Amino acid sequence: MSNSTTNLKAQNKSAASSLFKKNVRKFMNNKLAVIGLVIIVVMTLACIIGAISGVDYTTPDLKNIKAAPGNGNLFGTDTIGRDLFARVLYGGCYSIFIGVFCAVMSSLIGAVLGSIAGYMGKKADMILVRISELFQAFPQLVLVMMMVAIVNKRGLSNLIIIFIITGWMTTFRMVRNEFMSLKGETYVKVCEAFGMSRTKIMFRQILPNVMSPIIVSTTTNVAFFILQEAALSFIGLGVSDSTPTWGNILNAAKSISVVTNQWWIWVFPGLAISLFVLAINFFGDGLRDVLDPKQQ
Amino acid sequence: MKKLFTTLLSAALFLTMAVGCSTGNSSSGTQSSGSDSQTNSQSDSKNDNTSKTLNLAISTGDGSSTDDKVPTPWYNRTMATNLMFRSLFTSDSSLTEVSEDLASGYTVSEDGLVYTITLKENLKWSDGEALDLDDVVYSIQTAQKAARINSIYTAAFANISEMKAEGNVLTLTLSTPYSTMPQVLAQFAVLPEHKLSSVDPLKLDSDPFWVNPVTSGMYTVDTFNTGNYFTLRINENYEGEKPKIESVTTYFVTDFLTAAMAGNTDFLYGNASDLVEQLSSDSNFTAHEVDVLFYKYFIFNMKGVDGTENEAMQNVEVRKSIIEAIDRASLADLYPNAKVLNSGVPNDNEAYNGFDYKFDADKAKADIAASGYDLSRPLRICYYNNDQTSIDLINTVVYYLEQAGLKVEATLSNDGTTDLFTTRNYDIGFKGKSSFSINEWYTEYMSTDALFANIFGGDTAFDSLIADLSASTDKADTNRILGELQGIEQENAYKVPVFTVGTYVFTNNKLSIPESVEFCNPLYNCDVDYEKWEIK
Amino acid sequence: MIKFILKKLLMIIPMLLIISFVVYYGLQMTGIDPINFMVSPETLSANADNIDVLRESLGLNDPLIVQYFRWLGNCLQGDLGYSFDGSSISDIISVRLPYTFELAGYSLILSAVIGIGIGIISAIRQNGIVDYTGRVLAVLGQAVPQFLVGIVLIQIFSIKLGIFPSANRVSPDAKNAFVDGFMHMFLPVLTLTIGMVAVLMRYARNTMLDVLNSDYIKTARSKGIPEWKVYIKHGFRNAMKPVLVILMFRIPMLVGGSVVIESVFSYPGIGMTMTNAITSGDYPVVLITTLIIAATMLICSFMVDVINALLDPRVRLGE
Repeated sequence: MSNSTTNLKAQNKSAASSLFKKNVRKFMNNKLAVIGLVIIVVMTLACIIGAISGVDYTTPDLKNIKAAPGNGNLFGTDTIGRDLFARVLYGGCYSIFIGVFCAVMSSLIGAVLGSIAGYMGKKADMILVRISELFQAFPQLVLVMMMVAIVNKRGLSNLIIIFIITGWMTTFRMVRNEFMSLKGETYVKVCEAFGMSRTKIMFRQILPNVMSPIIVSTTTNVAFFILQEAALSFIGLGVSDSTPTWGNILNAAKSISVVTNQWWIWVFPGLAISLFVLAINFFGDGLRDVLDPKQQ
Repeated sequence: MKKLFTTLLSAALFLTMAVGCSTGNSSSGTQSSGSDSQTNSQSDSKNDNTSKTLNLAISTGDGSSTDDKVPTPWYNRTMATNLMFRSLFTSDSSLTEVSEDLASGYTVSEDGLVYTITLKENLKWSDGEALDLDDVVYSIQTAQKAARINSIYTAAFANISEMKAEGNVLTLTLSTPYSTMPQVLAQFAVLPEHKLSSVDPLKLDSDPFWVNPVTSGMYTVDTFNTGNYFTLRINENYEGEKPKIESVTTYFVTDFLTAAMAGNTDFLYGNASDLVEQLSSDSNFTAHEVDVLFYKYFIFNMKGVDGTENEAMQNVEVRKSIIEAIDRASLADLYPNAKVLNSGVPNDNEAYNGFDYKFDADKAKADIAASGYDLSRPLRICYYNNDQTSIDLINTVVYYLEQAGLKVEATLSNDGTTDLFTTRNYDIGFKGKSSFSINEWYTEYMSTDALFANIFGGDTAFDSLIADLSASTDKADTNRILGELQGIEQENAYKVPVFTVGTYVFTNNKLSIPESVEFCNPLYNCDVDYEKWEIK
Repeated sequence: MIKFILKKLLMIIPMLLIISFVVYYGLQMTGIDPINFMVSPETLSANADNIDVLRESLGLNDPLIVQYFRWLGNCLQGDLGYSFDGSSISDIISVRLPYTFELAGYSLILSAVIGIGIGIISAIRQNGIVDYTGRVLAVLGQAVPQFLVGIVLIQIFSIKLGIFPSANRVSPDAKNAFVDGFMHMFLPVLTLTIGMVAVLMRYARNTMLDVLNSDYIKTARSKGIPEWKVYIKHGFRNAMKPVLVILMFRIPMLVGGSVVIESVFSYPGIGMTMTNAITSGDYPVVLITTLIIAATMLICSFMVDVINALLDPRVRLGE
């Protein structure tokens, strides 16, 4: 008995590793997804390296404002003469952090609540679904505004909290639906018959089978949050102006004069956002192709 | 297959880039003849449709006006309301010399306490009702109770102890002399009593009256479309020379510059560098530089009348060293026309006392350390304006202060000056003030000032001098008082001006405006010979 | 079925109540005093006693819960109250809500037609030229921040070319109301559509592909039914159900997007009213606009439930 289980485990392991290899190969064949991944890695690394090496993104040079690219400023300078390249690099750290952190946290919340709702069903399900609808109906803008007014500060933490509590519902719905269909499966019934605890069944047995859609939705959420941050900055409810997020840098595009005369001030941060979001979307699509069992 | 996709994608990306760059390049070179002719022909075609209409815009983006009514002329004057509402007198472009308007003239008693003002005969409102002294008396009385009103009126009218109307003659008796009373009256729009007498003064500016107001000026409202525009037609009951331009359209927009560039407004003003830079190089617009007293200044949150103190700012050395740390001359570069000043009196004014808050980064650092200020405590600044130039300005200020070793938090506030004392969360407010006169800058120091008493703790050091200043009519005397006031001001450093920002008025070249016209501060009213304006 | 719909519909009411209470409470927490908006600072400090009387008469000294229920009672009687600057909120809403519905409605229709259309064509002619161009444009539209798209469109079409107006919804010299509306709405609708089309297209393409590869389509084909009939009758019909659900889910996003886009285009809708109210701290207006947006979202999610129930009887039984 014990012998056969170890064998089975080893088999499982080798099967898993070969599945993994197969997936990697499949992913590598998807050129766009690979390009996406490369862009993500390169941009993230560039931003982190830039930030660690201490690029100077704060020093204004009022004699050299709105300078075109070149002459020591790769991306030119902004409206008070700060180096845009440094700002885009540094801003990347904030924006990518906001995107990734909020996406992971909201997926975590969504997955846990979704598992509970889907597996437990009945009352728990009903209450959680109602709560999720409640949050869905809440305009994010008002929440942000309320936070800003209550805390009296437009901080990074405000934005992150709001993004997390307004971002978990899609994952929640998805996980819940998956759980509802999976809980009728034989292996779940078997586990239940063995008397395994509910938590164990939910999080050890069923959840791993739902991981792929969660991962995919997390990646798309990263892109969504980065865009959302930019939009909130635009209407003046984002992170405070002194924090150089991509959204805040792009804010200069509010002025039609900057849009007309100083393209570098908005094209570079705009391009950074778009390129990153694009890469994330490609990467997410690639992951979906690989992980989605329906397409295998 | 994927290759094709990638190629297409990169092509599209490149295209967007190219569009972005090309829009930049071609329009930044407005001097080049190609783009010139293009923009010209475009506005020409626009002129054809709207040949006899002047386009104006009211900006709702800064929260100062809403898009569902004509903005009250009692707060800021705007071109549109100047064309609709008249005052007893009218000003020249310096806002100091007044001449007749609704009133044919005035006399003032020797002691400066009694003004006798004669109203013109047979004046009419746009609805045909007679415009008489009842309207004037009603307006002055209501202004003192109104919720939304410029403080120049309340400050001036507070000195009126008695108003007597007999026939066409209004007698104003003041409790203390107020030398700029005629100038204030030249800004103060008279409103129709017969339409407004039943309206609560606190809700006056939101009354439905403002959707279709009865007016006294050259125009009256023709159509009003909430959220979009209102149009003006000539007021048949206007007794003066009728304007040549037959109709005016005022659009509600969120951004002046976009509106101007898209042909939605022929008259606009501003001081932000992006706006001035863009329109100065635009061949469709003519720039008129206007010297205004638009102060940008720091205000230190001291203490309330109730005695609650902001401890960190009590030491005057701290306040002075904070100013020392800021290179105001460099900051002035952010605006197209900013002049550094060291008190309420501009440096080129003969009353300026010569004192200078010098910028010295090293000395500031040493002084702050010596003053005993706790460097680990964040210095909290609140600022009010959300336009890019203001944000740039505050970011640069924060940079300078950080160089001096301070920790700084800058917060955008939406509640004007009141935020400083309702929460006392801030050490410094960074404000802008478009001042009517130098006197207005100093009246903020009055211990009785409703707002600022809560910030300066009702300090009475300035009171007697300010009263003298308001009363003074003699130039030499005024200069002497201003000199003393500057001394106290610089000693206390409650308010420290950074610079005054010059404003530009831009007019579309399709307008033909007489050469002699000089524009004044666009937030106030002056005679611009509008009846002679024409559309080419 | 009717019972199910009624039950779902009734659930909206308590949800709206909860949201209204949370927002009401949250706005009180922000500590902004309506008195500051109603009375000039001069009056404020000059006669504090009168202010207390005013405060009492407005019921601002009552416990929060009493104030909330009074507000709620008024709302239910159709009195939405007044903004801090004194305008009737019902008036504000009645002008602006139709504008926003117009904007959102046209964007929804346009993006649905374009998105689903291209999605289906690219599924049928997989890897064809439509497929690739469509996907490229869609992906780009999704990646560029919406307000930036709006600003660039203004720069190109309003300022450089002078074709479309840059602001407002109505112009005074309009000869034809429809043409005028079209001109004003073209750019904002286009901006919103660009953002929406990507998701719809991808979704439509994928579901259509799933359906086309399914057994019953193969059966239909083998029966010798003409190809176009297969696509329309069997493919399209079956693929549309999930797409419809996604479409409904996008409406809240559209409402959110229009808040930003309305500011870009000075479009006098509910979104701009809300943004302005938020920045100026006009909380009665914030409260009502929030509730309107929340109600829209709840109704959309209700419709999703109904559609799901109609399509899949199991959902109904599960509830």
